[in-house]
Amino acid sequence: MYPGGAGSRKGQFESGTYEAYKLKRETPNSKLGALCAGVLCLILFGWFFRPEPAPADGRVHVRYWEKWTGFEEDAMRKVVDTFNARQDRIYVDMLAVSQVDQKMLLATAGGNPPDVAGVWDSNVVVYADYNAIQPLDDRCSRDGVGPEDYLAAYWELCRHRNHTFALPTTPASVALHWNRQKFREAGINPDQPPRTLEELAAFSDRLTRREGGKLVQSGFLPAEPGWWNWGWGHWFGGQLWDGRGHATLTAPENIRAFQWVKGFADRAGTRDLQVFQSGFGNFSSPQNAFLAGQVAMVQQGVWMANYIHNNNPGMDWEAAPFPFPEDRPDLANSTPVGLDVLVIPTGARHPEEAWEFCKFVQSQEGMEMLCAAQWKHSPLSRVSERFYREHRNKRIKLFYDLAARGRTFAPPPVGIWREWQDEMKTAFENIWTNGQAPADALAYAENRVQTKLDRYQESIARRYE
Amino acid sequence: MNSQSGDPRGRGVRAVFREARPSARVQWRQLRTGLLFISPWLVGFTLFLAYPIGMSFYYSLCDFSVLQPPRFVGLANYQELVADDVFRQALTNTFCYAAGAIPLGILLAFGIAMLLNTGVRGMTVYRTIFFLPSLVPSVALAILWMWIFNGKDGILNIALSDVARALGSSASPPSWLSDPKWVKPALIFMSLWGTGHAVVIYLAGLQDVPVHLYEAADLDGANWWQKVRNVTLPMVSPVILFNGIMAIIGTFNFFAIPFVMAPGGQPARSAYFLAVNLFDNAFLYLRMGYASAMAWVLFLIVFVLTMLALKLSERHVHYGGS
Amino acid sequence: MAAKSPLALLCVYALLTLGSLLFLFPLIWMVSTSVKPISQTKEARPQLIPYPETVPSPDGRRYPAAYLREAGSREEKPISVIAREGASVLIEEDAPGGRRERRSVAAAAVRIPPVWRWENYVRAVTYKADQLGYIPFLQYGKNTLYIAILSVIGTVLSNALVAYGFSRIAWPGRDIAFGITVATMMIPFPVLMVPVYVIFKTLGWVGSPKPLWVPAFFGGAFNIFLLRQFFLSLPFELSDAARIDGCSEFRIFRNIILPLARPALAVVALFHFMHVWNDFLGPLIYLTDQRTYTLAYGLQAYQSQHGGTQWPLLMAAATLVVLPVIVIFFFAQKTFIQGITVTGMKN
Repeated sequence: MYPGGAGSRKGQFESGTYEAYKLKRETPNSKLGALCAGVLCLILFGWFFRPEPAPADGRVHVRYWEKWTGFEEDAMRKVVDTFNARQDRIYVDMLAVSQVDQKMLLATAGGNPPDVAGVWDSNVVVYADYNAIQPLDDRCSRDGVGPEDYLAAYWELCRHRNHTFALPTTPASVALHWNRQKFREAGINPDQPPRTLEELAAFSDRLTRREGGKLVQSGFLPAEPGWWNWGWGHWFGGQLWDGRGHATLTAPENIRAFQWVKGFADRAGTRDLQVFQSGFGNFSSPQNAFLAGQVAMVQQGVWMANYIHNNNPGMDWEAAPFPFPEDRPDLANSTPVGLDVLVIPTGARHPEEAWEFCKFVQSQEGMEMLCAAQWKHSPLSRVSERFYREHRNKRIKLFYDLAARGRTFAPPPVGIWREWQDEMKTAFENIWTNGQAPADALAYAENRVQTKLDRYQESIARRYE
Repeated sequence: MNSQSGDPRGRGVRAVFREARPSARVQWRQLRTGLLFISPWLVGFTLFLAYPIGMSFYYSLCDFSVLQPPRFVGLANYQELVADDVFRQALTNTFCYAAGAIPLGILLAFGIAMLLNTGVRGMTVYRTIFFLPSLVPSVALAILWMWIFNGKDGILNIALSDVARALGSSASPPSWLSDPKWVKPALIFMSLWGTGHAVVIYLAGLQDVPVHLYEAADLDGANWWQKVRNVTLPMVSPVILFNGIMAIIGTFNFFAIPFVMAPGGQPARSAYFLAVNLFDNAFLYLRMGYASAMAWVLFLIVFVLTMLALKLSERHVHYGGS
Repeated sequence: MAAKSPLALLCVYALLTLGSLLFLFPLIWMVSTSVKPISQTKEARPQLIPYPETVPSPDGRRYPAAYLREAGSREEKPISVIAREGASVLIEEDAPGGRRERRSVAAAAVRIPPVWRWENYVRAVTYKADQLGYIPFLQYGKNTLYIAILSVIGTVLSNALVAYGFSRIAWPGRDIAFGITVATMMIPFPVLMVPVYVIFKTLGWVGSPKPLWVPAFFGGAFNIFLLRQFFLSLPFELSDAARIDGCSEFRIFRNIILPLARPALAVVALFHFMHVWNDFLGPLIYLTDQRTYTLAYGLQAYQSQHGGTQWPLLMAAATLVVLPVIVIFFFAQKTFIQGITVTGMKN
């Protein structure tokens, strides 16, 4: 059964006597030939796989990894180009990296990090706890970068354990977006969005359509896009934890929130929803469920206007603060806040040059260039008139006001947020697709989160003792 | 083929050496040359196996994030592991998958091999066709099947709806990869597509069965089933066993496909497998110590399972080509 | 066991043909999807062969363009196809007065020219170093080849040496050492993942392709096992005669055993190449710079970035990753089948 099979093996033995090999001994000439061929192969190999030549412009090259692609990447690239054009000492090499948060951590752990990386606010705490990023306090106070320059909600996201570990790039607040055309088709006044969460559910039912028993349009789906599934409790006045170390997932507000969420799944039918949802396209494409008209209302961030413009420019849309529960008018104007940030990893080869670049992005000029190009509002407390005048997002003030004066919330600043979020995701999935009772799913998640939280705090205490 | 222990040439050389009675000096020289030849492996074994295994055990007793030096915590990781139901769920998922995919895969592959071994014309063409899918790299495989399994536009569901309609049923097919109940069956179904590898092996095993055994059975008036039962199966069982064990070990390495098809084990962690859970702990949560503890439990399970398979088979498997 | 009755034989053929069609279908579907426009992947009744661009109709929808040849006529007339109804087709054509009219014609008279959108491949492959939108396929192919070539060389060299040491030289303790070697095959890779990563981190190799090929130079239990079995099957008289002639062990290895072992070495090389080509976990852990990714990993990064919309592009990329493997298979089919047989039947 060996290669060649039994038959050919026999043949080999016949010719494969030792005498035959003695006869075939290599002559010096053939040896030389083999050597030459070997060397040639090596040279060819080396040439084909030659490393890219390092640019010899005498500048310090800062390796910058960023998560953005497409037009968002182009916006940042404009800022990078402006910075590079004004510099003769530093050159920023920007590289778009998929799953950048994970890659950056792996690269830092492996001792080969980029000089500066663009990640999400939720990464800051984890990285800081692992010493994967450098505290920026000294550089901040040296160059006069401080809390007074930023909206408080965003500055807070850059801080951990009383240190500044990151600087903002673009911020996000979240509002209800609705498709006015779909409102009109359903006979709803397109200028009057739902004000309360109860209204939202009622509107949703009126906007839901079936064809031949199959769902073809839904009014509102909590799972679309599902990026704030951890936060449903907040809209009902709930908190994920008490701020000191106890998870409070089973607080009545949280259970109520997920009951409200489950209502949508129950009314539409879990099975039908699964089929319906699996036909949704990618967020950044014309097949996006909201842009394709499959969902009439979504919870989306400030960037949505840009995606609408790029993927379905003709869409007739509006945005307003996300609704609040009827009995809790004090919860109006709630929004989760999120932030894209720049961090300098531990072990970065050119931290000072990276800082120069970060500083440029923080200048009003750099920041407004970036935020305007990404159709977002500025995280800075000072905003120029021109920024608003020329801004292409017609509701930009709404988002700024929500962040500046609304009731903002963000994930708990703990290093196990990723695991915590996975638990929330699982709880959501269990409620949304498995039909589990919210109280059970949340109790299960709370139990698991609490164990992790305790372990995390022990380990942090050990680390900082 | 089946007489490994009695390889005549291997025995022959040992006999030659025994006759020669090598002196201590010759033996020393042999040892030196032998070690020289296997020196790459000695280095590799030490550096990439022995040392890592030792370190893995040490890390499993530590709180270790790679960015900071390991900190000894005793058995804390193992204690946590016992109570960790995500780990338990990953374990259950892995076993469920193995329990479905391995027997079904063996059955299907064996069935195809039997069909191919009936002396049909064009056997090699059929064999090539059945084998081709097992060549598809796992990432490409995952992406291809994500497309086929897609709940709305996937060809599988379009075909199934047609069948349902033809049967007069209004039932709609499940949206495989987003339904917690159906994602594992979907993965098992998909694994059957790659069974061609085993087909080739079983076919070779079947072709190795001496014809005279069948002739003898024919003389005894045995029918088809009796021949399969009493001649084919016993002769091929060592091959099946060996590949079964390899498949069990393979399940614990099952990583790329669930990682691509079901990120984070979604939906509801029903597609969360051990290797993915381990990877997440090690490289996503940077809990290298905990991941090492997990690795040791995994190792233990593989060891026990393999031993069990060998023990069980002793009674049922027929070795030797006599 | 040959099937006797013709009926049984017919059943066997029917089963085999049906089975092979089922096995081939996903691959065919992959290629079919890869040459479609995205709109044709989102239909309730997807076609295997992509049809041409659609043309607008007065009813506001778009229908595929086709050609009609009337009975007795030689010329083809452009029409659009509204619906297929068994043996007839409902078409729409230009009518006098600039209107469009519909009627039913025989299916045989209608020709729908397939349009293969090969540009999907170009789009999937276009090299744009800084963008994630596309897989820089050539760069990733080159990266993969680099790792594959080095580690195949390493695997063949080291395992041949080691297997020789384990089979053709009798040294005290050899069989015990070999037993341990074989036992290590049982260790699942995830067990070693963390400590090996730490070793490479200490060496400063994380982020470079070195962790993916250097270990190949230090042997692997499976290949040692495979080659040893083969070396044992070669006649020992050859070595004995050479020894009497005063040949050194290395010379015997190089000049006698290696040339004879070529088929087995080919199996090892081929399988290791396949392993590198398919490897996902290694690049996932060790490659951090997007420009150094391998194909398999690049494909996943592309998928995770784009999710499930650009199915034609994804299928085109997947086809390109699968294709080389299949081409190699057809060139080295014998080696493949024999290699699998050998590795699968050793116990």
